[in-house]
Amino acid sequence: MDQVAGFNAMDTNLDHLTTEQLDVLEREIAKKYMHQVPWGAVVWGIGNCLIFIALFPLVLLEILPIWLAFPIATLNCALAYLPSHEAQHNIIAGKGRPLRWLNELVGHVSTIPLVNPYRVLRATHMEHHAHCNDESLDPDYNVHARSNADFFLKFLKNRQPAGVRDEDYRACLERLGKSELMLDATLFQGAYLLVLFGMAWSGHAIEAALLWWLPKMIAETHLLYYLSWAPHFPGHERGRYRDTRAFRSRLGNIFSAGMQYHIVHHLYPRIPLSLTPAAYRELRPLLAKRGCELGGR
Amino acid sequence: MQLIKLFFSPAVFALGFLWPLVTQVILAAELMADGWQVWLVSALVVLPFVIMAQFRGSWIWIK
Repeated sequence: MDQVAGFNAMDTNLDHLTTEQLDVLEREIAKKYMHQVPWGAVVWGIGNCLIFIALFPLVLLEILPIWLAFPIATLNCALAYLPSHEAQHNIIAGKGRPLRWLNELVGHVSTIPLVNPYRVLRATHMEHHAHCNDESLDPDYNVHARSNADFFLKFLKNRQPAGVRDEDYRACLERLGKSELMLDATLFQGAYLLVLFGMAWSGHAIEAALLWWLPKMIAETHLLYYLSWAPHFPGHERGRYRDTRAFRSRLGNIFSAGMQYHIVHHLYPRIPLSLTPAAYRELRPLLAKRGCELGGR
Repeated sequence: MQLIKLFFSPAVFALGFLWPLVTQVILAAELMADGWQVWLVSALVVLPFVIMAQFRGSWIWIK
């Protein structure tokens, strides 16, 4: 088996390799991209949240006009999830490592603009990985849709007071025996509403809407489209090489939050987001050989 | 628990945020002058949505 170590997947005739040898080769390639601290995600996660928070006094003190703060806040909300996602997978530092505190700090702080508590996200996201595309166990299954239009319609329905998304997350935590984490969600949501109410009744409702309410809504649409729906479409199959796909986004890799290569993340969740394109390019022949859906990438 | 449920209800969201938001949008757009009338009009704008959200479970009818 060692003989495949050091092989280049691009140059090797994969037809001659056994399944076990393909496994070894795949792991060898993936290993090169793991165990690196993504400092960019650390700065991004904390910096993005600080900029978002700073917008509030800057706008209320009339230092920054609201028309300029609105797109910045929207960008802040759209960028808030991914650093926490790196932390959820312990990519910054695993348990017992010296930088573990930083991993947890980034995890907790970066999703504040989205009003999503880190511990809830981590618990439910691990279930998404463990049961991807399983209708009854994948907490993100509710975003599955037949087309773009169907996704947006479903998203609208899920956001309503009787929508299933919050309920699916609550049921997932209950199944895991972690119902106490719902307290985190309640506190986050409660604080968010108090800020909106406080700003609204002190004469700053438009500012509250354009700094947090609308940006959060726009960002959630973007987030669920690119992180939950597009990489798992059509979402009918389960299994390591079939539950996630590569795809080509017409809006490019940055706008699609790097999710064109999400298949690499599901195979090797410890590879940092910034390295998934390179890892994908090297793994591509192997993934094609495995019968993965690569969407022309 | 009932208090928490009430706090997160559509009616409280409308009262705490949507009502003053619609009022301030009307004033900012100079559609009406400031006074109790603008609060009444914005309440009438918000009310159908609140009733839908509170009793049907959807702000926009579809669910």
